[in-house]
Amino acid sequence: MAVEPRVRVDGVSKRYDGANGPVQALDHVAFDVADGEFVCIVGPSGCGKTTLFRIIAGLEPATTGHVALDGGRVDGPSTDLGLVFQEYHLFPWRTVAGNVGFGLEQAGVATAERERRVRDLLDLVGLDGFADTYPRDLSGGMKQRVALARALAVDPGLLLMDEPFGAVDAQTKTMLQDELLDIWRETGKTVLFVTHDVEEAVKLADRVVVMAKEPGRIREVVDVDIDRPRERSDDAFIATYERILDRI
Amino acid sequence: MAIDVTEDVDSPTGALGGGLADIDTRRIARGLGGVVAFLALWTGASLTQPSYVLPSPLAVAETFYAEAASGALFVALGNSVLHWIPGAVFGTGLGVAAGIALAWSPYLDDVSSPVVRVLRPVPPLALVGFAIAWFGINHAGAAFIIAVGAFWINFYATYGGVEGVSEDLLDVARSLGVEGDLHLVRTVVVPASLPEITTGIRTGIGRCWMLVVAAEIFGVAGIGRRILRASNNLQVDVVITYILVLSLMYLVVDVAFRALQRRALAWQ
Repeated sequence: MAVEPRVRVDGVSKRYDGANGPVQALDHVAFDVADGEFVCIVGPSGCGKTTLFRIIAGLEPATTGHVALDGGRVDGPSTDLGLVFQEYHLFPWRTVAGNVGFGLEQAGVATAERERRVRDLLDLVGLDGFADTYPRDLSGGMKQRVALARALAVDPGLLLMDEPFGAVDAQTKTMLQDELLDIWRETGKTVLFVTHDVEEAVKLADRVVVMAKEPGRIREVVDVDIDRPRERSDDAFIATYERILDRI
Repeated sequence: MAIDVTEDVDSPTGALGGGLADIDTRRIARGLGGVVAFLALWTGASLTQPSYVLPSPLAVAETFYAEAASGALFVALGNSVLHWIPGAVFGTGLGVAAGIALAWSPYLDDVSSPVVRVLRPVPPLALVGFAIAWFGINHAGAAFIIAVGAFWINFYATYGGVEGVSEDLLDVARSLGVEGDLHLVRTVVVPASLPEITTGIRTGIGRCWMLVVAAEIFGVAGIGRRILRASNNLQVDVVITYILVLSLMYLVVDVAFRALQRRALAWQ
């Protein structure tokens, strides 16, 4: 019997009523993500990848088709889906520890256990020592680490990330990518990562879902069969990069 | 696994020490200079006028002392506080609650919007008749007038704050296990709009001191009635004395609340 995919995106279409008639934002998008897999969705702006992110996250409904997580239909946000956004969306009135512990508080985890898990998570993302800091005093990269730890705290089946490193400088971006790969390896999480940066996709993903626009659809799914850590100067890296770039 | 944090941490910009950092000797000196100049002008002007038109600062100080020494000042203040507190508490509580409810629920907003628009421009003073009919000439009646004034300020401040809560924060909270309106309001909506809510409360409690005069116009004892009666008797020194008491009370409450607000919003 075939193993059930962690995520199944099944014929998802999305139509909006625009000013000049209906807009087909997504047209029959379908793909699976296996347990523990790291999949990137890459495409030019306007290809509907953020819409797809929001539909998978349960933040907006598909016009037709559906998304299933572990066989169950996604019909709203839940703790099964850990969300990380480009703009962090930290709770500014909560400290770093308060943000990371938010989901555990809602789940009713006892204080001592919660504090222990928050400490472990802060250690995992390299923010030990910042537990009592408020988000306003953090750099962009640190905010994104907090957002990642916060999403991981409730142990979601899928980590869903929308251009998470799009707002930080190039150096920080490289560092955060390496850290994310470490955390992925360490936690065994399934990751679905939306980006417009082809190089980022090739560096991170097991598979890259390449999207095209007007209407937003899948152009091709590219396997990235390169050992990690991946070097962008590597021939296989460059070949995959150019192959994807050609399709966009 | 350990990761070095090599990025810069923006240093806190002294926001916590803000209260002390504000103290600047040059500003204090200028402020004192302003007060001295004002008193000098006032004294000069009072020399050209009979005391029932404009008493001198010294005469006012004497009256202030006499009112305090006789205890009359504290009786009046005590009476005003007895309706200021329930008025401020009920007006603030109901205003904040209504602001949250209507800004959060489009249904409640639609239902109440016409009524809100009709009631909003009614000045609290115009409700004196209702205060007397519903509560009588007592603290409850005066508190009602004060509460109405506090209600609207808090209602609009809270409404604006809640309306401005980011949809994304709500999405994040939902993805972290927050379910249901009450739960979302408690965990996200209220803390996120606390800056606007507390600014409303602060404005409201200041406004309540102004409304004390209006609320006592129909005969409830307190600072307001003292001011109104003294005005009728042309006791301008008494009028100014009690205006000063109102100002002092406003100042004390405002400074105390601002300190509380800064603590509650230390994250800003």
